[in-house]
Amino acid sequence: MNTTEIQAAIARPGVFPQRTPHAIADALVQTARLWLAADSPWRARAIAAASEPTGFSAAMVNEAVTLTFEALAQATFGDCKFSGEPPHRITHILSGNVPAPSIASICRGLLLHAVNLVKSSQRDPVFPALFVESLREVDPDLAECVTVLHWPRSETNLTRAALAGANTVIVYGDDDSVASVRALTPPRARFFGYGHKISFAIVGEAALAFHQSSTGGRGSRRAEDSLSPATGSGGASPTNLGDLPTLAAWDASVYDQQGCMSPHVFFVGNDAREFAAALAEAMENYQQRIPRGTLSIEEAARAAVVREAYEFRSANDPRVKIWTGAPPYPWTVIYEEDPVFTPSCLNRTIFVKPISTLDSMQAWAGKISTVGIAPWNDQSRNSVSHWAERVCPIGQMQRPPMFG
Amino acid sequence: MAIDLQQRIRAFLAGGSDNFAELALEVFAFQCANNPIYRAYCERQPAPVRSWKAIPAVPTSAFKDFPIACFPLPEAVAEFHTSGTTREKAGKHYFKTLELYEAAIRPNFEQHLLVGPASPSTLLGTLSLSKGRLSIVDTGVTEVDRRDACPTSLPVLALTPSPKEAPHSSLAHMLGVVGGSDCEFFVEQDTLLLERLTHRLCEMQWANQPVLLLGTAFAFVHLFDHLGNTRFELPEGSRAMETGGFKGRSRAVTKPELYQLFTRQLGIPAHRIVNEYGMTELSTQFYDATLRHGSPTDHKDVPPWSRILIMDPRTGQESPLGERGLIRVFDLANLWSSQCIQTEDLGIAHADGTFEVLGRVANAEVRGCSLNAESFRKE
Repeated sequence: MNTTEIQAAIARPGVFPQRTPHAIADALVQTARLWLAADSPWRARAIAAASEPTGFSAAMVNEAVTLTFEALAQATFGDCKFSGEPPHRITHILSGNVPAPSIASICRGLLLHAVNLVKSSQRDPVFPALFVESLREVDPDLAECVTVLHWPRSETNLTRAALAGANTVIVYGDDDSVASVRALTPPRARFFGYGHKISFAIVGEAALAFHQSSTGGRGSRRAEDSLSPATGSGGASPTNLGDLPTLAAWDASVYDQQGCMSPHVFFVGNDAREFAAALAEAMENYQQRIPRGTLSIEEAARAAVVREAYEFRSANDPRVKIWTGAPPYPWTVIYEEDPVFTPSCLNRTIFVKPISTLDSMQAWAGKISTVGIAPWNDQSRNSVSHWAERVCPIGQMQRPPMFG
Repeated sequence: MAIDLQQRIRAFLAGGSDNFAELALEVFAFQCANNPIYRAYCERQPAPVRSWKAIPAVPTSAFKDFPIACFPLPEAVAEFHTSGTTREKAGKHYFKTLELYEAAIRPNFEQHLLVGPASPSTLLGTLSLSKGRLSIVDTGVTEVDRRDACPTSLPVLALTPSPKEAPHSSLAHMLGVVGGSDCEFFVEQDTLLLERLTHRLCEMQWANQPVLLLGTAFAFVHLFDHLGNTRFELPEGSRAMETGGFKGRSRAVTKPELYQLFTRQLGIPAHRIVNEYGMTELSTQFYDATLRHGSPTDHKDVPPWSRILIMDPRTGQESPLGERGLIRVFDLANLWSSQCIQTEDLGIAHADGTFEVLGRVANAEVRGCSLNAESFRKE
């Protein structure tokens, strides 16, 4: 990889092909269907190639394919808008190992009729490149408008070259990486930085009722009003959790909790401890189906430090209880009476806390991606909508709309 | 039982031979019997303890939440605190007596800082020639017989507060023990006295007097930033001990960068700089074998009364030699608190019995796009 190659990729003379927005959307949906088809070779190739760099198990890569391309196949393309000068040439700097935001970014660029240079992340060099390859099967001219490359972050001269030719720059990553790319971006280019975020969930009438009363809401509704036919996660009374723990475990386990929509904490209104026990069982069931990936020593050590600290505490403090899977400890559920939001070490370590206040979330203002809630109804949704970019039912946290 | 154990360990620290494995199991029985907090934790362990390696470790975080002590707290003669942040409680290590703590410090420090095979004449010569002006250590709080005190002919300049100024700092206390009454401390009211220290270094250089510098890595970085283009050539035989990380205290530099600064700014070569690995929750420190070997090394010696196990965080079992894992320390001098501490540091054990410290788990790289606990702390 050298600067000439990168300059060629971003400054390629290719004119965006004559396509109506509808035709582009159609091509993208067709491509998504290639991935979702039975015995899809694209799915098979992703599973074979992505496990190692992403660190996900093969079953999790398989789940990622389904989630990403179902979202694309069902996308509302009208939501993909852009104000101001059209972004003729976009440089995308991707991050992390969750494929959906990367694929969405590429699709957005195409829907805006832009030529795209994509720097894939070290953690996922597979999905963006394979996606463009599959698009080529459907619409080769459209695929010509995307070049996916990878170079190390330390090669700032290459990054600078990639940014120099763009009139729009889209960056994903932690705050430090976003800031460092911004510093390299020429002033004339429009810059969009998407930093890392956290998510959490609130469970139960009592929790939401508490929150409504503490924020001047109108109080809770009766449980039967709030049953959600869409997810079946409503009516979360402690004696009748239904499939709520399963949905919660799904939210917490998908992408091994590394997505910014992965919850760190479940705040629970009544009988949080009972919910934690049920969640632990559901985490184990999910692990049996879709195992967590293999952790690096650093990640495993980080989790071990948290686990051992809470194991010691739980021996002497009735306000703490911990459940873990058998070594290599593929999941951990920690019940803690202290209601302060505790960011997780990730990789399927989830906190369950009783809710008494959400004051501790103030420190995270502007950094909250998704709040999952159960039960799901207009009132419960409105009660927390000011907290986050997105509020959704528990069980849907990892299914955001493609262009939401 | 406690007094017998204390005497046996005291003799072990003083260079006597003993059976570590047997002693550790006796200390385990003692600590289980006398610390209900630890006992409750041990009772939850799946397997009975039959060998010292199976003794349950107390995580360092437990020192923040519980008194880890085998005696009633009002009897404590000292307590050392970890540097808690605004978001975190400080951990506390209570001492019923400082006898074992201080006894563990001296021989180990001497073997790693007051030797110098690279130019033995310098230090040993100085030691014998200068007996007339040897200072006798006065630790202020010690119960140790003055005859045991660690003499040194090298003036000791510590870039830390004095034990009096920082009574809850284990590092200040330790340097007080090794530095003795002549030791000068250059931190007052949380401020590094840079002018005074620079002046002192100047005097030492002109008097051709080798010195022993002790301090945290970040204090040294402050000094080097302050010195700028000012360079010292401290006399041959001068040496330095640096310890600790940089957490939020100064710009972070790597160990090779730091050692280059020592050489460039002070004239102390890498083979006379020793890294110390110690923590508030322990009584024993671990030093690079640099001065003992006469060449720079990251390998740390393990004194006879302690053991290092590297634990694989994925299995909870001991890691093979040469593989990375979490450092677990056994320290018999921690008789009255906990002899087995699970640290949050990654390390590697080597076949020759030494080990390396690779750094805090918290600083390790994370995957994914979710903010996590560590990035929150960073802000």
